[in-house]
Amino acid sequence: MIKLIRRNLLRNKRRTFLTMASLAMALFILSLLGVVNDAMNFADESAIPDRLVVRNAISLTFPLPEAYEQRLRTIDNVVAVTPQNWFQGVYKDQRPENFFPRFTVEPETFRSVFYDYTWNEEEWETFAAQRTAFAAGRELTEIQGWSIGDMITIKGDIFPIDVELQLRAIFDFDEPGQERQIFFHRRYVEEAMGNPGQNGTYWLLLDEPEAAPAVIAAAEAMFENSDNQVRAETAEAFAASFTEMLGNIQFFFSMIGLAIVISIFLITANTMAMAARERTTEVSVLRTLGFRRNQVLGMVIGESLAVGVLGSALGLGFTAVAIQGATPFLEQMGFGFGGFALDSQVLVTAVVIGIAVGLLSGVFPAVAAARLKIVDGLRRL
Amino acid sequence: MIPIKYTYRNLFERRGVAFMTLASIGFVVLVYIGVLALAGGLRAAFDDTGDPSVVIVMRDGTRAEMESSYAQESHRLLTTMPGVERTADGAVMASGETVTIQIFNRVDGTETNVMVRGVEPGAFGIRPGFEITEGRVFEPGRGEIIVGRSLAGRLGLRVGDERELGRNTFRVVGLFTGVGAHGSEIWGDYRDLGDSFRRSGYYSSTRLQAASPAAARDLIETVQADQRLQVQALTEPEYYELQSETSSGQFIILGNVLAVLMAIGACFAAANTMYAQVAARAREIGTLRALGFKRRSIMASFFLEAVLLGVVAGGFGALLSLPLNAIQTGTMNQVTFSEITFQLRTTPFALFSGIFLATVTGVLGGLLPAFGASRQKITDLLREA
Repeated sequence: MIKLIRRNLLRNKRRTFLTMASLAMALFILSLLGVVNDAMNFADESAIPDRLVVRNAISLTFPLPEAYEQRLRTIDNVVAVTPQNWFQGVYKDQRPENFFPRFTVEPETFRSVFYDYTWNEEEWETFAAQRTAFAAGRELTEIQGWSIGDMITIKGDIFPIDVELQLRAIFDFDEPGQERQIFFHRRYVEEAMGNPGQNGTYWLLLDEPEAAPAVIAAAEAMFENSDNQVRAETAEAFAASFTEMLGNIQFFFSMIGLAIVISIFLITANTMAMAARERTTEVSVLRTLGFRRNQVLGMVIGESLAVGVLGSALGLGFTAVAIQGATPFLEQMGFGFGGFALDSQVLVTAVVIGIAVGLLSGVFPAVAAARLKIVDGLRRL
Repeated sequence: MIPIKYTYRNLFERRGVAFMTLASIGFVVLVYIGVLALAGGLRAAFDDTGDPSVVIVMRDGTRAEMESSYAQESHRLLTTMPGVERTADGAVMASGETVTIQIFNRVDGTETNVMVRGVEPGAFGIRPGFEITEGRVFEPGRGEIIVGRSLAGRLGLRVGDERELGRNTFRVVGLFTGVGAHGSEIWGDYRDLGDSFRRSGYYSSTRLQAASPAAARDLIETVQADQRLQVQALTEPEYYELQSETSSGQFIILGNVLAVLMAIGACFAAANTMYAQVAARAREIGTLRALGFKRRSIMASFFLEAVLLGVVAGGFGALLSLPLNAIQTGTMNQVTFSEITFQLRTTPFALFSGIFLATVTGVLGGLLPAFGASRQKITDLLREA
């Protein structure tokens, strides 16, 4: 039986190859779409649920007063508070490869909230002591070719000042995406701006994640009647709000995926039908020899299943290789920052689709082949 | 030559197989046109916005209006520049505006940033396309706003609704359209909004109407050369070009990468079909050859069949893509990080590209099988039962 399937697959090598190749291609595209879609999803699934973000309730373009930091610290269950500001600016030029997040931070409190970055203690000390110092993620330093002591200039846009910074520390993070950013002193910008005493966001560390809803409520209530009302949310929800802004784009990605699936289904079904039709006589001969309907059914389905499995494996293997090669390109296109990986969800979806297409496309010809009356089949010769 | 009739009759003869191939290539075309329509619609939203005779001035070094701010004195200075047009009754055709961003929820509950623009009466004169489709224009000092019609749909806002903008509550009194990307914004009185957002006394941008695109260039030079101002000036189309490029560029690249990959897959499918056609017609080909048709004619005929299959599939895909035009959607403007609503557009270029893609698929997929068909020996062909 297995031998028959194998023989059948090999009898028209060209056709088997073409079918498998088109299926592999489709799964390649499908999984690549999944990967890109994941990368566009800013939501950090690994985000620790014990951190909250507090920002101006109107939008991120409005700052909060410096004094809020102290007041937020007084809320129960809040262990530490640190400000973080989106500086933006332009490094060298507007090209996407020169764009990376640039934040100003308060070194004194930074690590008490963002405890999950790995530092070289000596480097950290130098960074914390020098007002014009900046810290960069390892991956970013590799991309930009920076080493400790290098100077860079960031042209300001939101803040109308240009900052000159010296690389003093390189940090590591579990996820390469988080290594593509730089931090520098908020005091530097504050002074250059004439000490407006403002911050974009405050990050809160809680002693236990369960306290999040209560702290959120307390923080929002605390400034309810002030000039600057705040919005508090978990770090995860904060990240998710950026994904939400992209709107229906992910929906369109799914639609594209659906069209691709329909398309490959048609292709494979078509080929299987051709393969089965060609063998009408043969099937009848097999039946005459005593093979049962079920066996004939199994044979044709087995064949298309084999095409499905092999095609999926080929396509996904291709994706795995392609991600390595295509990451710089995808980044250049501006699809997220790093973190291009074939995660298990995409993988499983693709394999299931590949196998399902293989199975379904085999069903109709298989049933037709099994149903055929022996005499009719033999007559067709 | 083998008559063309033979070619298309053949496709009809094997309807089932031909239709399946046609449909699979058609879907490839649909996806390609779909992505291009997304990019095309996004581009169109920006391209409909700029007037090359209007100069937009922002603080030096900023990329978007919401990043820029400067004091009223600079604005006043700008409106006195030579080359700024005046209306019939002598008013300067200029508009100082403040742009801020506020979080809103879309109808589906998801969150987005919305651009809120405080404008002066001059704003309407320099935007002749501006049109109220429902209600009326806001009146200064009364806490009224108007909302871009497409945005209103996304946010579920209707005339009469009230919303908090900054510190104060505003009432929607009208919906507007005809001003391109501004259709994704909320407009209100400059002072009302400035007060509510505590941005009084500042401008994000100043728009100056010049007599012509050439006069606009001169005006830009005058503004840039003025030592008292630390601003940058550019024409409106130049300003929106960056947003258009940045926001739609991804889709164009994505569309093309997808198209190439999918087309390769579809080529395999087309080749498969054509090989099957050739195999099924071995005896026929033999007969044709025996009748005296040259190898070249046989090849041409099969090749033509593949191309025809591609073209028809392309047309089919293009036809399938037409309903996309009705889809209204929105995404994030990648420069201002705020909502930009747009309508998918299957531009003639997109449709043509789709059909072209299908044709190339047919050509590439049909080439080898057609060649194979012509290479076989007559005796072999006729022997096959």
